[in-house]
Amino acid sequence: MTDNTISPESAEAEEFFMDPLPGQERFVAPVDETPLKAVDSVDESEPATSMWTSAWIALRKNPLFIFAAILIVFIIIVALFPQLFTHNDPTYCNLDNSLGKASGSHPLGFDQQGCDVYSRVIYGARTSVSVGVLTTIIVVAVGGFIGAIAGFFGGWIDSLLSRITDVFFAIPLLLGAIVLLQMFRTSDSIWKVVFALALFGWVQVARITRGSVMEAKNLEFNTASTALGSTPMRNLFRHVLPNALAPVIVVATTSLGTYIVSEATLSFLGVGLPSTTVSWGGDISTAQSLLRINPSVLFYPSAALAITVLAFIMMGDAVKDALDPKSRTE
Amino acid sequence: MGKYLLRRILQMIPVVIGTTLLIYALVFALPGDPVAAMFGDKPVNAAVAAQIRSEYNLDKPFIIQYLIFLKNALTLDFGNTFAGQPVIAVIGRAFPVTIKLAIMAFVFEAVFGVVFGIISGLKKGKWYDSVILIVSLLLISVPTFVTGFVLQYFLGVKWGLLPVTAGSNPGFIDLLMPASVLGSVSMAYIIRLTRTEVSSNISEDYVRTARAKGMSNKSVTLRHVLRNSMIPVVTYLGADIGALMGGAMITERIFNINGIGNTLYQGIIRGEGTLVVSIVTILVLVFVVCNLVVDMFYAVLDPRIRYV
Repeated sequence: MTDNTISPESAEAEEFFMDPLPGQERFVAPVDETPLKAVDSVDESEPATSMWTSAWIALRKNPLFIFAAILIVFIIIVALFPQLFTHNDPTYCNLDNSLGKASGSHPLGFDQQGCDVYSRVIYGARTSVSVGVLTTIIVVAVGGFIGAIAGFFGGWIDSLLSRITDVFFAIPLLLGAIVLLQMFRTSDSIWKVVFALALFGWVQVARITRGSVMEAKNLEFNTASTALGSTPMRNLFRHVLPNALAPVIVVATTSLGTYIVSEATLSFLGVGLPSTTVSWGGDISTAQSLLRINPSVLFYPSAALAITVLAFIMMGDAVKDALDPKSRTE
Repeated sequence: MGKYLLRRILQMIPVVIGTTLLIYALVFALPGDPVAAMFGDKPVNAAVAAQIRSEYNLDKPFIIQYLIFLKNALTLDFGNTFAGQPVIAVIGRAFPVTIKLAIMAFVFEAVFGVVFGIISGLKKGKWYDSVILIVSLLLISVPTFVTGFVLQYFLGVKWGLLPVTAGSNPGFIDLLMPASVLGSVSMAYIIRLTRTEVSSNISEDYVRTARAKGMSNKSVTLRHVLRNSMIPVVTYLGADIGALMGGAMITERIFNINGIGNTLYQGIIRGEGTLVVSIVTILVLVFVVCNLVVDMFYAVLDPRIRYV
């Protein structure tokens, strides 16, 4: 202890602490007047609101979300249990009924082959929704994994994966899918369409995941976690990924609608699902020649498709608003 | 800048090689016999088939075939189509039409997308903002071919305002409807993107500062809000060139345009591997170069971005 410092026991210190200058008396409140407990304690009666909790609270108040959610739930129910909504067989077609008018049990009339339009619209939901959902799951899994690895580890892994991503990015989704599907024209499984769309669709998710992982990687909590002895893998899964997830969810929701449109387009081009599969895309493409004679046959499957896609895009918008309050679309 | 450009061009080489290899593998290495496809419905003559195989190098291992293709492609020699025409001649005939169509679609989506997006973003909540939003959502959710058929029916057949199909050598008027249809979905995305950007930038501090300094409303909007809102839009436009090329396949089929999309589609359906791979190679080159140009354009929009 040197001469310059004031030891608490010294008389000098006593003078310093005990006798404040005039006017400074009340600057420091005596300890017994403000118990430390009151200042330092954290209100633990409610759990801390995480990003996800606050996003969920914002979502519940958003009419756009409620509307989209109701629509999506309804569409999924139709896709899972079409028999609840119609008793007609969509594949029972009688040429006697060709382009027949709407009647009681056939509210939307008949198409050129004499099939019931209403039951085909109902049963077509399963194909479109399956293609959309399955493609999105694969795209998020593959694209998310590759993007996360590239963004998190950087270096040569990033360079290699980014070049592979560039290769797939340079081939437009539709073009690649057509070339691939041409090879499997005889198969009538929806998996070939799912596979083709996923093979050329994962790139977008990979790029976005990479970007947001790179951003989350450099945040302080990650450094803190490493300092506490966390392994890189634990960091990636516990800290980086949950914080990088938001933009991926938004893109995935919106893309789901895009994949449904792409499936319809591929069926229109004659390389998607065969006409034996009941699908909106297939029905739209067979109905296009009837536009001049009977536009309603074209209208109903198109409207069903548009409403489904719209529901997923609105859901994407609502989720984006909730997760990123800065970019409100409403 | 020069160094950056050189690095980017060098980076393009593996991408182009990888992409052509991928397409080549999809077309030639997967099941399906291109020689049998060539005969169509006629019986396959073994001797002729063998000769064709050696002429198209189909008897050699896959990777050798690809290297021969690559070597010839460097001299723009893409071989012949099944009908015996040089592939490069077919492409040369079809490409100008598609370039015209794509440029028109690009201008359409860029101009209308940005203009409507700005109007919507600046006047959020007004009735025309809602109209613009609803129309753009509809354009996204209805498949292009349905939009195409409906427009073709009303504008072309019923009201006779525009030509129903574009002939062999289409002009500006012939391509007006196809180009709008081709660009419509991207236009809707650009409207939404611009709207979000403009409305979030408008509440930034630098905009308030500019207003506080006494800048006029017009120059605040043009010089501060718009310039900063354009960066994501330009990125989108750059990546969209590829989508336009893919979309051209559908539009050209609806409106019966003899462009590269239609040629490519026919090639895919007939199993003309050489034609397909050649066209895709050229499309990939166009796409990669366009993306490079877009990246260069960033520096103009955002002076903070410097290429070293």
